Parts: sequence; structure tokens; C-alpha cells
Amino acid sequence: MHTLLNFFIKHNHWFLFLLLEGIGVMLIVQFNNYQNAKMFTSANSVAGNLFAAITDVSSYFALKSENARLLEYNKELNEQVTALQAHLAQQEDSATVAALPHKANGFFYNCATVVNNSLNAVNNYITIDKGTADGVEAEMGVFCNKGVVGIIYTASEHYSVVIPLLNSKSSISCRVKGSDSFCTLQWDGSDTRYSYLVDLPRYTKFEVGDTVVTSGFSSIFPADIPVGIIERTEDSDDGMFAQARVELFTDFATLRKVYTVGNEGRKEQWELENSISKE
Amino acid sequence: MTSNNLIRIRNFVILAFIQVLIFSQIHLFGYATAHIYLIFLLKLPRFTSRNEQMIWAFLFGLVVDIFGNTPGINACAATAMAFARGYILESFTQKGVADDFVPGIHTINVAGYIMYATLCLLLFYTVLFLLELFTIHYPLTLLASIAASTLLTLLFTLVIECFTRKK
Repeated sequence: MHTLLNFFIKHNHWFLFLLLEGIGVMLIVQFNNYQNAKMFTSANSVAGNLFAAITDVSSYFALKSENARLLEYNKELNEQVTALQAHLAQQEDSATVAALPHKANGFFYNCATVVNNSLNAVNNYITIDKGTADGVEAEMGVFCNKGVVGIIYTASEHYSVVIPLLNSKSSISCRVKGSDSFCTLQWDGSDTRYSYLVDLPRYTKFEVGDTVVTSGFSSIFPADIPVGIIERTEDSDDGMFAQARVELFTDFATLRKVYTVGNEGRKEQWELENSISKE
Repeated sequence: MTSNNLIRIRNFVILAFIQVLIFSQIHLFGYATAHIYLIFLLKLPRFTSRNEQMIWAFLFGLVVDIFGNTPGINACAATAMAFARGYILESFTQKGVADDFVPGIHTINVAGYIMYATLCLLLFYTVLFLLELFTIHYPLTLLASIAASTLLTLLFTLVIECFTRKK
């Protein structure tokens, strides 16, 4: 006991030192906001790191079920994306179709997307993704934002084949804007950018730079859908008619979205015309 | 003894004023602050009791803290320095010297005094800046502050040492 007391007395400066430092630290923590905050955040980060480490380890045990849950969630999200995309496409289609002209004149429109296209043959064909189920039938017109594309050749339930202007069988009734005489547009099978107006009466007045539009006579297309611009004029081989090289508005190489146009009165007109020729 | 204490209190007040009004306001290059009140502690006689030294140091630090809005920091650092000062001083005292001398360039030689002051100041500033920054996340700032402040205070200490009369 005596030795212990002696020890304390001998080393009393240690206790004073600790006491004073303790008071100092207490002052620091109590009165100084910055240190106060630091003390608390440090304490928190120690606890936080501990919890983070525990979570790191324990999370491995749940990885499998977590994975399954994520896959399921992914599937749901994918389904939602697909549904929303379809909905969006539908909205766009109806919006553009509603904006098209001549709706009231017996013409009805459909929006379609090109799914197959060829350019390099003499007889090119285009396949679009709308068929009889969408009201698309053979002999209906097809055009795009820039100009005429062609005519439906045949239609299945969900797809249709189009004879575009770039087909030697294609023959579209046209007219030079500003004159009333009509003529026929035919392709010569060479350059996909140009087609030819043939059988122009020699008295027809037209010049380079005139715009060629649909005539509206065939009832396949409404009148005045743009086709192209006259690029060069020349005589036909036999000299009886004039003909003109037309630069087409439609860029068939990049064709993507097209519209089909049908005419409610077309069948009646066709039957009527046929009945006359039979007699 | 009484006159000795009166002189000490006078020195205390003068140094405290100078420290608080002038030197605590100066932050050279953003790192260096001189704490010339430490001269008071460095110049305490060799055999001043350690408890007395620590109480002086604590009070002096507290005064500087109160005026500097840093309660506890200077008090802690100064107390730590006062605690260690005896040990440091003994290591620079020539063997066989039993006098109760006041440390200075005349009592322990110039090199010894510089070493003694440098070690004391290094300890003081290490504690001070550790408590002030309260983090070791900026070791370069910490080291720069400690080194710069130690040098600056040492410079002032030596200047004042040169101008004090030899007793």
C-alpha cells in the first residue's frame, strides 16, 4: 500500500498531464463545432464501414435468388418496352395517315414499312409489311413522303409485293404539271434515278424542269402526287411522239416508310370499264 | 520567489497580448503561424516542477485558445510540450551540470538550444495541427503546416533570444 501510494506520488505529473489533456480534449469536443462534427462523422464512418463489410459478405449468399429476381424483372421490362414501342408506332402511323390529303374523296391510306427491296434487276420488287388483313389489296398505289413508289402487285394476309417504278412492267399514268395531257411513265431498266415519260403527244408543251405528277385518271393514285422532274426531252424512236427523261423524287435505295392508297370506288370503275370493253 | 512569480505573470500577460493581438492573426502562406508565447515555456528554469510547467502551459494555451476561438487545442498542445520539455532539456544538458539554469544560447550552447527548441516546437505543432485538422487525410498539408510553423516560431525564438540580456 505504501509503495503504491509512493508510486502515485512519484508519478503524479502523469496524472496531471492526463487530467489537463482530458480537459483540453473535452473543451475541443464540446466547444468547437468542426471537431464536434468530425468526431461524430468519424464514429459514424467506423460503424458504416463495419456494416458495409458485413453486407459485402452476406450478399454473396443471396446472389442466386437475386439473379433470378433480376432476370424476371428484366423479362418484364423487355415486354413493357416492346408493348410501348408497338403503341408508339401505332400512334405515329395514325397521326401521319390522318394528315394525308384526299381522305374524303374515297381514298383510304395505310402506313407500311419496306421489308425487302431490290434495285439491280430489270424487274425490281419491293415487299412491305401490310397485307389484306390491313386492307391492302392488289392494284393499290404506294407512295412515300417524296413521291410515288409503285403499285401493289399482290397481297398476302400480312405482306404485299409492290411493283415499283423501277420495274419494266411498271406503267403509271402521269401528267406534266401545268398541262392537261396525260402520259405514261416507264422505266428502261438502267439507271435507278431516272424513268421515262413515253407517248407524249408532240403538241404537248413541256420543258426541262417541269414537275411530273400523277394524273389521277387510273384511280389508283389520287391526282397530283409528285413523281419527278423532267431532266431531258427527246423524240421517240419512231419520231411519232415525244418522250422525256424524268429524275425521280423517290430515292428507292433508302426507302423505308411508305403509304398505300386505296380507292373505294376503284372496283366499280374497273368493272364498268371492263363491261364496256367486253361488249 | 514571489518576485519571480510576479515577473512570470508580467511576462505571461505581455506575451499573451503580443500573441493574441499580433502573431495569431498572421498565417504566412496559409501554413505558418508563429506561437511566440511558447518562449515563456521554453525559458522556464530547468528544475521547475513538471506539474507547475504543465499548469502554466495549460493556462497559457487556454488564454490563447479563448481569444483565438479554438478552445482546448493550444491548451492540449502546450501541455504536451511542457510535459516533454524536461526530458528533452535533460538530453541537451552537459553531464555533471547540476545548476537550475534557464535554457538559452549561453547556458546550453547555440546548437543545443536550437535542437532543444526545435524538438519542443515540433512536438507542440504536431499535436496542435493534428487536433486542428482532426484528420490524417491531408498528410501534405499537415506536414507543411508543422514544418513551416516550427521554422517560423524558431526564428522568432532565436531573434528574441539574441536580444535578451544575459543574466
